[in-house]
Amino acid sequence: MSELLPPPPAAAERQNQFVSDNLRRIFLQIYRIVGNIADAQDLTQEAFIKALQRQDQLKDEQKAAHWLSRIATNTAIDFLRRHGRMAYCEVDIHTESEQHSPEELLLQSEHRDYLEDGLRLLTARERAALVLRDVEGCSAEEVARRLDCSKATVRSHIANARIKLRRYMARRKR
Amino acid sequence: MTTHPSGAVLALFAGGELGSVLRWRVERHVAACSECRREVSEFSELRAAVPVIMEPPEISWTKLAAEMKANIRLGLEAGECVNGGRSVRHGVFSVRALAVCGSLALLLVAFLLERPTPRVEPVEVSEPAFLESSVSGIQVKSGDQSIILLNTRARDARDVNYLASGNAMRARYVDTETGYVTINNVYAQ
Repeated sequence: MSELLPPPPAAAERQNQFVSDNLRRIFLQIYRIVGNIADAQDLTQEAFIKALQRQDQLKDEQKAAHWLSRIATNTAIDFLRRHGRMAYCEVDIHTESEQHSPEELLLQSEHRDYLEDGLRLLTARERAALVLRDVEGCSAEEVARRLDCSKATVRSHIANARIKLRRYMARRKR
Repeated sequence: MTTHPSGAVLALFAGGELGSVLRWRVERHVAACSECRREVSEFSELRAAVPVIMEPPEISWTKLAAEMKANIRLGLEAGECVNGGRSVRHGVFSVRALAVCGSLALLLVAFLLERPTPRVEPVEVSEPAFLESSVSGIQVKSGDQSIILLNTRARDARDVNYLASGNAMRARYVDTETGYVTINNVYAQ
């Protein structure tokens, strides 16, 4: 029969360590796919809870981190599928360094809006593939594994994403 | 490569995702075609810009991380409550234990079903049975054999009454302390 919880203190400590070691990486990975801090926060929590409920998968640290990344990617893609494209919303951002002038902040904000509009043109999987390849530097094989599809499909997603972004930027320049 | 490569091929060429043969062919074409070279250069610039685009704005990471950690802990505890306190962590052990218990249960059921059941010989009653009421209960007598349905509290009971009808007898007791009523019906065959 199953033993009863709570987990031994060593296991709880291991869980905390696992969260601390991977939290920022997973948050950024999800943020880059969903493009929204509030959603990225919720989805990061969801991904960790899913992962930590299967502790048998967490014995090997390296494999666990890899597995967590897969969960995070899939959680973010599922979210985008459920909610359509990326849904940017206003969030109350507390800046840690308040050294920017109001003009600089305005310019940054406008530039961000411009780029975010471009990213909105991508599908969830195109965006995920682009993030994994161009931001996280994964190989095409690795991206295929993470997205659970073939290398040819990954190439197609990446090429489509780049073409859409290039066209968008070209249109805006004119 | 005499014709221009497609946009998709140039996009992949810029990211180094083409196979070696196609890459070599595109390389040769791009070296000689300024239009495609410009397109590749734009894709390369885009690749460099993507990580910058996708960086989140400055946020108070310490606060956000603390909030997320607390919510993760809360979520796990809620999950444990839903699972009835059973740990998934010991899944392998549980499955084995369950398999052993299941096998034992099967063996037990098989044994119970297959064991020889003692045959109950019907008792031949040569003499007729009689019903008698007494202070302690109702008695069935047949020859020198008798059986009494006792009412242990009959002596302290009030409103005790017996009713006989054919081969049946009924006794009714009212407990003096509790007021509970006990009714015994006995049929003789």
